[in-house]
Amino acid sequence: MSGADGFEVEFVDRSERSARFLVRGLTPALANGVRRAIVADVPTFSIEHLRVVENSSVMFDEMIGLRLGLVPLTTPLDDFELGDTVTIALDVEGPATAYSGDIQTSDDLVRPADDDVPIIQLKENQRLELEAEAVLESGKTHAKQQGGVAVGYRHLQQTVVAGDRDEFEDDDGPQIVRGVIEEGAPEATDDDVAEGDLVLTDSFGNDLRERYPGKEVDVEDIPGAFVFHVESDGSFSVEELVLRAAESIGSRAVELRETVAV
Amino acid sequence: MMVPVRCFTCGSVVSRHWEEFRERTREGDEDPGTVLDELGVERHCCRRMLVSHRDLVDVVAPYQ
Repeated sequence: MSGADGFEVEFVDRSERSARFLVRGLTPALANGVRRAIVADVPTFSIEHLRVVENSSVMFDEMIGLRLGLVPLTTPLDDFELGDTVTIALDVEGPATAYSGDIQTSDDLVRPADDDVPIIQLKENQRLELEAEAVLESGKTHAKQQGGVAVGYRHLQQTVVAGDRDEFEDDDGPQIVRGVIEEGAPEATDDDVAEGDLVLTDSFGNDLRERYPGKEVDVEDIPGAFVFHVESDGSFSVEELVLRAAESIGSRAVELRETVAV
Repeated sequence: MMVPVRCFTCGSVVSRHWEEFRERTREGDEDPGTVLDELGVERHCCRRMLVSHRDLVDVVAPYQ
């Protein structure tokens, strides 16, 4: 996949809730801009206000409110606008555990992303009944509204074999790299890889000594190439999260251009 | 009290795995590290959430 303005995106690892992808043609500032947009700009639904009817559990209303707020809710962004609310209800009587799956919502599009998050364990004669409002807000307002989890990036690194290692040299332990490397010396490995292939460091225990036995290996950053690792909390897919983040950077750039235009 | 819903550090939802983790390590005899690997709890920030948790609901229940 290649963009009109020279970005090149390549997926290394991809599933519904987590992805690792390489972007070429980014400056460090833009790479961090993308990360920040993923974390702070893409809104998700999260429970904000509670109306507690009955709470005879061992936890205070506020603690239940905090736990409910942290439960990720599915967020179809095409159908809602920032600030929209959805009404939510929960009614569980002990002895039982109230799970996120017991939450009822007024809109079928918005529901708990996972049904197995325990909210509170209820004993005999304990009951939790409440109504709540979930609100669509961005991660700037509260961490519970963030759609991305553990979002980060690393420079793509290339391995270069500098020569043979002196076999009588003291063993100074493993040579650790993490994430993804670009293969720069396929002839020195046992794998069937070509020069320039991307290799997950997990495949060789993150230790270059394992991959290039007996070789002295240098690792160099490749300018403008970043490997992103993004996880979603389940509100939407990773793909939608990243695309919405890129869209938000784009729309703010347009807004800036229009504002400063003479 | 109850297991925290999310990891304090990274924000991933760890509480979903608590009940299985408890059954397999506290009541069963499995190695906690292997169980966490199998549950897909990879980062050490998330792993400590489950390893260091203790349920206290039963302890405070009589005091309402």
